Amino acid sequence: MRYLSAFSRLLPALGLSLLLLPGCYSRSDMKTEEGAATETTATPPVETPVAAAEPKTAPATTEAAATTAQPLQAVNVFLEVSGSMEGFMPKTGASGENTKFQQHVAQFLSEVNRSTAVRQKTFYRIKERPYKDSYQPISGTVRSGIQQPAKSTDIPSVLDTLMTNYYRPGTVSVLISDFIYSPKNAGAIPYIKTDIADALSRGGEKPDLAVSVYGYTSDFRGTYYPALVASGKKTNCCDTEIPYYIWVVGPASAVRQFDAVLLEKQPAKQAHFGVTYPQPVYSVLNKFQNKGSWYYGDAGASKRNADTYRVISVSEASAQQPVEFVVGLDLGQLPGQYRDVAYLKQNLKLQGVDTDAKLLDVFAATDQNRASSGPESKFTHFAKVRLTKQPKAARPLVLRLQDQRPAWVAQWTTKNDATPAPKTFALSSLLDGLEAQSGAEKKPIFEAPLTLQPAE
Amino acid sequence: MKALFRSIYELIGAPQPPADTPVYRDVIFPNIGLLNIGISLALVVIFYYVINRMMGVATFNKGRHWAIFLIINGLIAFGLAISQAHAQQVTDHSYIYWLATWNAILGLFWFFILSLILRKGSTNASTTPF
Repeated sequence: MRYLSAFSRLLPALGLSLLLLPGCYSRSDMKTEEGAATETTATPPVETPVAAAEPKTAPATTEAAATTAQPLQAVNVFLEVSGSMEGFMPKTGASGENTKFQQHVAQFLSEVNRSTAVRQKTFYRIKERPYKDSYQPISGTVRSGIQQPAKSTDIPSVLDTLMTNYYRPGTVSVLISDFIYSPKNAGAIPYIKTDIADALSRGGEKPDLAVSVYGYTSDFRGTYYPALVASGKKTNCCDTEIPYYIWVVGPASAVRQFDAVLLEKQPAKQAHFGVTYPQPVYSVLNKFQNKGSWYYGDAGASKRNADTYRVISVSEASAQQPVEFVVGLDLGQLPGQYRDVAYLKQNLKLQGVDTDAKLLDVFAATDQNRASSGPESKFTHFAKVRLTKQPKAARPLVLRLQDQRPAWVAQWTTKNDATPAPKTFALSSLLDGLEAQSGAEKKPIFEAPLTLQPAE
Repeated sequence: MKALFRSIYELIGAPQPPADTPVYRDVIFPNIGLLNIGISLALVVIFYYVINRMMGVATFNKGRHWAIFLIINGLIAFGLAISQAHAQQVTDHSYIYWLATWNAILGLFWFFILSLILRKGSTNASTTPF
């Protein structure tokens, strides 16, 4: 009896030790220990209310999230209806066939008209100057052909009008045209770039002016007017496809928003000038194709969110035992051109101080990555880095995506468009003019700073 | 605290694989370190104060009885390290077993030290193990 009561006195002690067994420390109590410093630097975008609704496409900064949530003030759609556009919009034939232009632009106009991302939509047709119209007649023109074609329109004066009368915060102007620029005389051809830059800067300084150019090709049935008037127009054109373009002109944030909502869905050639993008979400991944002796060096690394690792602690690195790590990038917010793996391979650069770190490879996420339970499932692209020298102290390492003129521009440019071809006269000079406007030095699309440090 | 346990447990080398180093340093080392001391203390208290004082058991105070508790302590320490490592979902690696072995040795050490300190308060086993 005495034995039993003694044992029952023991029970609280036993219970206490059982309670202790699961462990005192866990990954979740790091926040309280790490203090405010980590809290501010590592605030994950997933916690903002806007991003929570669409976690896959969450932009990196709250500022960007705020602008995305707000619909655009207004969009002005300008359709060129000069004679050179007639071939894109032929009168409906007996067989009822249409051109790709008609199919695409009619659909685009309809999407703009229905879009909830823009408050006010206005449609214009460009003859010698813009004439206000409404959705129905414009769409009708696209479908059943131009009734009264205007004379050739002059691109600089159109841009001039857009800049002086339609450039407002939260407003974009959309210009649909073949952008065949035929100067009054051949002597003006070398000055196309200057003319465009001048036209864009008319109406005052606009530091945040941005232009997105989307290029398409379409079959063409009608009279083809080359830019070089002397070579003469071609009737009953053409066997080849002819390019046409949608230009989006406006303040950088508005252009970015319009692009993302209305132009990113369809495959197109793209070039962007002066458009700025929020920094993408990125993180070092410690269990995804990693090699060698390194670990997350971030303070409280074991308890941070999986998409906020920035510091690589290298314990050992040599030519025989190189360190390889993968940086996951979520480029979902960028336009298609910058998500293109070929573009990334050429233009994603790694810059370090005092290190031999090299970018080994850039690749897109596979279905397997996306379905993975690891943190790699959050990213759309991966950059693999290798280094063979241990850093001597904490050193910065930056992944930078350079803004390069895409290769298609050169391919689509011709100096002589007398023979119809899927090329546009002096296209690269036109785009040079846009570039001249968006500032002397080219800013990178994004920068992803990391830190290399020796292991403690 | 973390630095202390880190220095104790990294006497056998850095955690492997290297990618799991932060988890070991921030979570597993302090966890198993504290639990190890706690469990050693508990077993010492049970042996000297519960069995050999409160319950007044007269036949469980020999060196071999003490050794039974010492071995139990080592086994618990070994199992504890493995279960803590798995609970934190670290990558499987032979290092886990080296860590568990080292933790068992540390458990024996704590049990021995605590025995020397606390045996004086026991009525029946104040001279165990020697």
